[in-house]
Amino acid sequence: MSLNLSLAQHPHRQQQQFSSLDDKPQFPGASAEFIDKLEFIQPNVISGIPIYRVMDRQGQIINPSEDPHLPKEKVLKLYKSMTLLNTMDRILYESQRQGRISFYMTNYGEEGTHVGSAAALDNTDLVFGQYREAGVLMYRDYPLELFMAQCYGNISDLGKGRQMPVHYGCKERHFVTISSPLATQIPQAVGAAYAAKRANANRVVICYFGEGAASEGDAHAGFNFAATLECPIIFFCRNNGYAISTPTSEQYRGDGIAARGPGYGIMSIRVDGNDVFAVYNATKEARRRAVAENQPFLIEAMTYRIGHHSTSDDSSAYRSVDEVNYWDKQDHPISRLRHYLLSQGWWDEEQEKAWRKQSRKKVMEAFEQAERKPKPNPNLLFSDVYQEMPAQLRKQQESLARHLQTYGEHYPLEHFDK
Amino acid sequence: MAVVAAAAGWLLRLRAAGAEGHWRRFRGVGLARGFLHPSATVEDAAQRRQVAHFTFQPDPEPREYGQTQKMNLFQSVTSALDNSLAKDPTAVIFGEDVAFGGVFRCTVGLRDKYGKDRVFNTPLCEQGIVGFGIGIAVTGATAIAEIQFADYIFPAFDQIVNEAAKYRYRSGDLFNCGSLTIRSPWGCVGHGALYHSQSPEAFFAHCPGIKVVIPRSPFQAKGLLLSCIEDKNPCIFFEPKILYRAAAEQVPIEPYNIPLSQAEVIQEGSDVTLVAWGTQVHVIREVASMAKEKLGVSCEVIDLRTIIPWDVDTVCKSVIKTGRLLISHEAPLTGGFASEISSTVQEECFLNLEAPISRVCGYDTPFPHIFEPFYIPDKWKCYDALRKMINY
Repeated sequence: MSLNLSLAQHPHRQQQQFSSLDDKPQFPGASAEFIDKLEFIQPNVISGIPIYRVMDRQGQIINPSEDPHLPKEKVLKLYKSMTLLNTMDRILYESQRQGRISFYMTNYGEEGTHVGSAAALDNTDLVFGQYREAGVLMYRDYPLELFMAQCYGNISDLGKGRQMPVHYGCKERHFVTISSPLATQIPQAVGAAYAAKRANANRVVICYFGEGAASEGDAHAGFNFAATLECPIIFFCRNNGYAISTPTSEQYRGDGIAARGPGYGIMSIRVDGNDVFAVYNATKEARRRAVAENQPFLIEAMTYRIGHHSTSDDSSAYRSVDEVNYWDKQDHPISRLRHYLLSQGWWDEEQEKAWRKQSRKKVMEAFEQAERKPKPNPNLLFSDVYQEMPAQLRKQQESLARHLQTYGEHYPLEHFDK
Repeated sequence: MAVVAAAAGWLLRLRAAGAEGHWRRFRGVGLARGFLHPSATVEDAAQRRQVAHFTFQPDPEPREYGQTQKMNLFQSVTSALDNSLAKDPTAVIFGEDVAFGGVFRCTVGLRDKYGKDRVFNTPLCEQGIVGFGIGIAVTGATAIAEIQFADYIFPAFDQIVNEAAKYRYRSGDLFNCGSLTIRSPWGCVGHGALYHSQSPEAFFAHCPGIKVVIPRSPFQAKGLLLSCIEDKNPCIFFEPKILYRAAAEQVPIEPYNIPLSQAEVIQEGSDVTLVAWGTQVHVIREVASMAKEKLGVSCEVIDLRTIIPWDVDTVCKSVIKTGRLLISHEAPLTGGFASEISSTVQEECFLNLEAPISRVCGYDTPFPHIFEPFYIPDKWKCYDALRKMINY
């Protein structure tokens, strides 16, 4: 009787062939067979999803059929992007220590995840990041001047000095401006992917986040929406072992983030994030299929955060120097790629020395220039809240202007554009 | 038998309150529409509580926007959405249950007309709905998200306040989500209790970067919603659910815009200014009549329409003229939006005030169920406050 009502009231529901004599499950919620043995599924964390890699720790290709055979220029670009980023990180970290900028986050150890994935995308693919993906921008040739401008909040900052350092954004390079709240970018990236699908843009959206951010509700929301709404998106998780001081053993109890993908109906893979070619191959294939098949892909790139969480963190408080040294010395994406380059005969000690000198010089020049530039006019405190400035806000702007006329000496006006 | 009688009681109440549709988290009896019939004579004290606390006053038929049709509030919303999807090929509508027409029938017919890629259900996840909507808007496409009840908007609070509102500012105008509009049923409905009656506009009023808009009628709703959709800033559009069926008037078929951030003086007066929004506008309109009749007092009635950015000038101009201000909203008193209006008006119009500014609001409690008639700032409470102000 209830069957007839449901068919009458929901004419659009999928018509299933029902037969009360048939013993197969009829539940709309799952496609499965019956089982008459009581058995709980045991989560498998002892031998989890295997980690795809192309190079060993010495930069030698393990399985030649997996070698992407990238041309020399491209591999050199990968290498130079990573090393330039590394150099910039060292200098800007120091500059915070010296009180020149207020805050900084380094990318030590994770450079491979950035450039390997960026190299596999089209330049117009939209990037939503978390905050430790500067290498993606570096690979897309974001100028040092603009990295520095954002960190210094100077007059050249495209972000108009509004955010803390490392909150980069670039419309021209399709890199959505970083925001501090974690994982908020995940459902947003899904929406952008949906719009790209509707527009037949032939575009993938890539969304980066850490294994800590993956605990947020927004991550769950994003995964589920991407799968149900069939969005061309790559979810790229940088599993670097720590969320500030919280190790992965306190972040999750399952088999990392890759194992969650199938729970949502998402194609998933785990890769060696310190192997640029593995990251490249996985991202390349994910991109191809995500766009062709309009479905999400989840890549969990295993890596290690060699640096502190930020300049506000001293990680010796929660991990050993030995552990950090291991990764720095024995399994670093830059070293591994350098070994590959050397073995190809595409690089040598001379070039290494010259490049180190050159990259340091470039960074120092940009740094000195950024230091010298003034900050933006304080009027920019008030614009872009809305597209148009509301009347009440204009009044507040005028009120500050009047205040500064009388009390200006107590404000650092000399550093700001007039 | 008792179950059937209880069901009939619930249904009569629903009919009287004018609301309609499925309640997602409603734990009562099922609501088959076949049981609805007009209520009998209202002599019984128990029945008296089902009479609405307001009388919807339609505005005169608008002449300047072409042909009109009688529409109730949900139909005027559908009309606005229909117009939007017709002229903007990037526009999409999504949320829980919007595909079949929505729990309040606001999206009926749109999926069939515009396709399943443009009108679609999402999983049950408000933070996802708003985050997803932001992402669509970042690409420049028009995103119209529905949150099934304003009471359930809170999981999306982070996405709205920390993301949507700040997108343009924090990126230095490189990126924005201006083409996002969030619509949500709002306000008391007679029996909604804690989680189907809330008016959360005050939480969002404190958030620069978004606009919050609340219509009082079908004609206002369509024009304001279209303005929200076309506005280049993320907007939240709260729809008074009690008006979905109870409010009906002539509404233009073609699209038209009613400006945001402009309050409307719907009745001019000289002795007191009354300010409200949404359903409460009809309550204060009636209070204005009562004041005229019983006290010979002339009231200026203002519908605020946009909560932020709000039209300070219109309200102040009125108070400068009348010297007295009464603000009324269903939301709780403390921290309610009346406090912002009161604070600003006393700053701008201090010397013009003849009496303290009066706020007639909900109590500082969660929205109760059985006690709703006592909770809401009805016409008697507003009238009494007005009388005290006049005699101050």
